Amino acid sequence: MNRLLLAFILIAFGIGAFKASQYHTAAGFLVSAKAVASNGEARLQSRFASSRQHTQTHASSVIELKDGRIRAFWFSGSSEGAKDVEIHSAVFDPAREQWSNEQTVATREGTEQSLMRYISKLGNPVAARAADGTLWLYYVTVSMGGWAGSSITAMSSGDEGATWSPARRLITSPFLNISTLIKGAPFSYSDGTMGLPVYHEFIGKFGELLHFDRTGKIIDKQRLSAGKDHGLQPVLLTRNTNEALVLMRHTGDEHRKVISVSTSDGGQHWTEPQKSALSNPDAALSALSLPDGRMLAVLNNQEQGRDALSLVVSTDGGDNWQNVFNLEDQRGQQLDEAHYLKTATGLIKDVVATDVGEYVTSTKAAICTGNGCRFEFSYPYMIQASNGDFHLVYTWNRSFIKHVWFTQAWLDQRLKEAAPASSSAHD
Amino acid sequence: MINFTDITDITGLASSAVAIIALVVLLPGVARLQKTHFALLVCAIAIVVLIPFGGLPLAAYVRGWMGDLSITSLLLLLMSILRPLCGRPPFDPKGRTTLLILVALAAFGLYPMALGTSLFDPYRLGYGDPWLLGGLLLLALAACFRQLPLLALAIALSIFTWGAGWYESTNLWDYLLDPLLAIYAISALLKRASRLAVAQFDRGG
Repeated sequence: MNRLLLAFILIAFGIGAFKASQYHTAAGFLVSAKAVASNGEARLQSRFASSRQHTQTHASSVIELKDGRIRAFWFSGSSEGAKDVEIHSAVFDPAREQWSNEQTVATREGTEQSLMRYISKLGNPVAARAADGTLWLYYVTVSMGGWAGSSITAMSSGDEGATWSPARRLITSPFLNISTLIKGAPFSYSDGTMGLPVYHEFIGKFGELLHFDRTGKIIDKQRLSAGKDHGLQPVLLTRNTNEALVLMRHTGDEHRKVISVSTSDGGQHWTEPQKSALSNPDAALSALSLPDGRMLAVLNNQEQGRDALSLVVSTDGGDNWQNVFNLEDQRGQQLDEAHYLKTATGLIKDVVATDVGEYVTSTKAAICTGNGCRFEFSYPYMIQASNGDFHLVYTWNRSFIKHVWFTQAWLDQRLKEAAPASSSAHD
Repeated sequence: MINFTDITDITGLASSAVAIIALVVLLPGVARLQKTHFALLVCAIAIVVLIPFGGLPLAAYVRGWMGDLSITSLLLLLMSILRPLCGRPPFDPKGRTTLLILVALAAFGLYPMALGTSLFDPYRLGYGDPWLLGGLLLLALAACFRQLPLLALAIALSIFTWGAGWYESTNLWDYLLDPLLAIYAISALLKRASRLAVAQFDRGG
């Protein structure tokens, strides 16, 4: 008996050692090459990426397709957390300057069948590009409780999102696998593996990085902050192979600032979380590094509310930020319904040519309650395409996903027009 | 008809089915059924929990709530289910108390930190950390030589199934223990400790 058991122990650990040898830590970050020329047209355009009306939409993300088009994902349903929420997607063709009709890429029922387990609701979707060209879509699923009970589900596509593989569950926590959510953009390590910023919000609220191998399996997980730091929704900005900055939404009451951590050894070690110069009203932000070392961020750069959205830039590695452009600004507006409808009509006319009344009605249903209305411009997600253009999507009053497309020349022009470098992150 | 898209769906659903079967057969009186009746009951429960209702089998709902049971849990549950059929424990249970103590200690170390009490996350060690593997090898060998076969088998089976990719998880901790096992281990140890304390008190009185 003992000999048999001893033999089994040795065989088991032999297999285990082989498995462990397949897990390796990354050797730094991959800095992607983007076009840096800014001699093109200085242009900013905005439009709605979502087209379905009378639904609530939220948590959008975008990714560039191989042919230069842009695919966006978001969740849409009768209300956030409802059983009818689905993951929707649409494609923007820059040549035609037009979004396709939105399509459903994941439903609660379909996800249940693939995962072979009960699912009560769907949440934030984020897309990623693996080194072999495969498109991955990660999205939040909940089996019990609220968002704190979330897990991440993944599916892949070999045809740029036209069709998707069956969904698979990612196991990321030992405690019933609950409370791992996504919001920030994925990134690549220099060895071709992929990283995904995630966050945890059951009891402790903290940020983490998941590390995937080339087949999409998790091979490592790294903590960026502890529960007491109240950092959520991390966004990673790579400076070079070894250096990166992570910005996180702050969800506590002790201060209203974005939290930051950084690494100088390719992500092996991270600094203690600290307050950054950016204000934060407990809301998500998006940020990216430019090839010339500047950093660009989009956020609600205020301590209360989500009624303004700003584009800010840092030229000193994230220590100081300068306001470049107010994408939305409805601060200080009256909240009564009549005033809201008048203002919303004006804003919608800027981005849609027809059917303005229907858009306004949809928005009113999503934002106005018996206590009045409240503007919300939130959950920004920004990428830089390979031609150097920027594509930003965000939640527009919980009713539509707004897309803002601007060129490097426009950004450079704005930077020149903006006030001389200031240490303040505010207007 | 269930459409499995991955082998881990079968192993995951099986673990949920084992949990439900164990829950039923551990009810008072069930273990005293005739062996044939007991075996029929086990088969009937297995069929019922794996037949889809409204698109999903009952085992899938349980799996949605509790995830995949650890291999250590499965081992202990299977021993409980098979015991009435075999008439004795199907595997030498020596080492059970030591196993439960280690599970409780690991749970106290793992879960609070996994929920964010510190920057250090021991769950990360489950991604092939050589020190964790080495420590477990020494523990398994010590258990084997100290005549604690259940402990040695639980560790070796967990490592074997992790290496083979038995479940969706790629983290070794998910094969070694789970929160339900931790609750059971702590409860069983507290019960045992209170019995010992009462007995000692009685002897003292």
